[in-house]
Amino acid sequence: MGSENEKPTFTRMKTGESTVIASHRMQFMPSAVILILGKKLVLQLKDFFLTMQEFFFFSLKAFMAFPKMIRYWRDVLDQATICGTDSIPIVLVSAISIGALLAIEVGNLLEDFGAKTMLGRSTALSIIRELGPLLMGLMLSARFGSRNGAELGAMQISEQIDALRAFGTDPIAKLVMPRLLAALIMFLPLTALSDFAGLQSAAYMADHYHKIDPGIFWNAVYPRLVAKDFVVGFLKAPVFAIIITLVSCFNGFSARGGTAGVGRSTIKGIVVSSGLVLIANFYVSKIVLENM
Amino acid sequence: MIELRNVSLKYGEKEILKKVSLTVCDNTIKAILGPSGVGKSTILKLMLGLIKPNSGQVLVDDTDITPLKESALYGIRRKMGMVFQGNALFDSLTISQNLGFFLRENMNLPEEEVNRRVTEQIQFAGLEGYEDQLPESLSGGMRRRVAIGRALIFKPHMILFDEPTAGLDPVSSKKILSLISSLRHHNNLGAVIVTHIIDDVFNVADSVAVLYQGEIIFDDVTEKLHESKHQFIQSILSDKILEL
Repeated sequence: MGSENEKPTFTRMKTGESTVIASHRMQFMPSAVILILGKKLVLQLKDFFLTMQEFFFFSLKAFMAFPKMIRYWRDVLDQATICGTDSIPIVLVSAISIGALLAIEVGNLLEDFGAKTMLGRSTALSIIRELGPLLMGLMLSARFGSRNGAELGAMQISEQIDALRAFGTDPIAKLVMPRLLAALIMFLPLTALSDFAGLQSAAYMADHYHKIDPGIFWNAVYPRLVAKDFVVGFLKAPVFAIIITLVSCFNGFSARGGTAGVGRSTIKGIVVSSGLVLIANFYVSKIVLENM
Repeated sequence: MIELRNVSLKYGEKEILKKVSLTVCDNTIKAILGPSGVGKSTILKLMLGLIKPNSGQVLVDDTDITPLKESALYGIRRKMGMVFQGNALFDSLTISQNLGFFLRENMNLPEEEVNRRVTEQIQFAGLEGYEDQLPESLSGGMRRRVAIGRALIFKPHMILFDEPTAGLDPVSSKKILSLISSLRHHNNLGAVIVTHIIDDVFNVADSVAVLYQGEIIFDDVTEKLHESKHQFIQSILSDKILEL
């Protein structure tokens, strides 16, 4: 009987009777497709929450390893060189180019309102509060974060992290804590450097492009800056240091599946940390500006 | 002594080990034989506490390590040396730095003692002249010997080998096996060798456990392996290498 019932349906579908096809699909959708999609969604959610739990404990262990900083001071210094001194060129290049562009564009805009003398004030606020720390964060997410992800991922794939554990060394204390501490120490001076370079290039463009006297430019900068402006900018440095280091190291530790897995974990580390840096940038500004 | 009591382990839905019981005595060499992907390396990781079983106990010198926290396991792990399948040498460190790494890291030994032990291991592994080379410049057999030296430098009670001759040419394999045999005679060490090559078992092991479909189907002295009537063991004895 069943085969007799199915046969005409099939024949009619082939002949193109759309109503039959529609009703057939309607019956099929709830029973199979929705069930499969639902199961996939549940599995993905479960996977997401498990990863979040692992990340939380990973981060906790990294902070709890801080008392071992004296034992690993050489590693801290090495990492401070990598994320600090070695990052100076890229931070300078990005800060100088954005500072110069900002001065040109904002200067043009202010000229329309006859307020070119306010260029120093507007560029200083943009750079110190937002662009200086944000550019530094994004550049270090790409540079320091990718290095962490690739290096630790390769160590994970080649069982070097297992070897550390097998021979009695805490891999988080040895590999993650020095990176985190170095980033927390070095991101502050890098933010200051980014601000300084951005403002200097803005001042240079104000002088040479908009013909604004440097005295007028700097006079619009210094007297008007208040503590809140610096708090907003410099509070972002440790927040970005924590985000970039922990996300990239966690992804390195989670690398699976050979060299392709190292690539995947590195990309994931950069994408997630850059996204979180942008989100954190907004919320730190919002919270500080609303509460100070 | 290391003992596994009714150890079961699952990865997701897949059951890797089903109530596995196994004892490795001091001063003996025990081989764990089985096809690739059956969970042999997992047993070594369980012995070190790198992974925890779903049920059962892992005892190291009569201490159940399964409920122990990571920090408490470090001391127990230092009683054992591990030679990983891919050697797991630190690729940015020289051979002598690799050998001395964990001594400097975990033991408060004077630098002279560290250097003395490093020299001793370099001589034992026959790597004189390669002290300042990076691992990438050595052959597979030499890298394996460095990994064995690194595991021995602690003077452990037990050494765990994960596929010690896998991927090596016959000459290098022979050297590694004679190095393992010499451990028992000279250093009085116990060892666990995980392998899928049956000749390795007959060359070095005092006893052998055969792991098949997550279960131990044979656990006795090596000589008795030929007496087993189990179909799988009969087939591996005729094929010599397990490529299942």
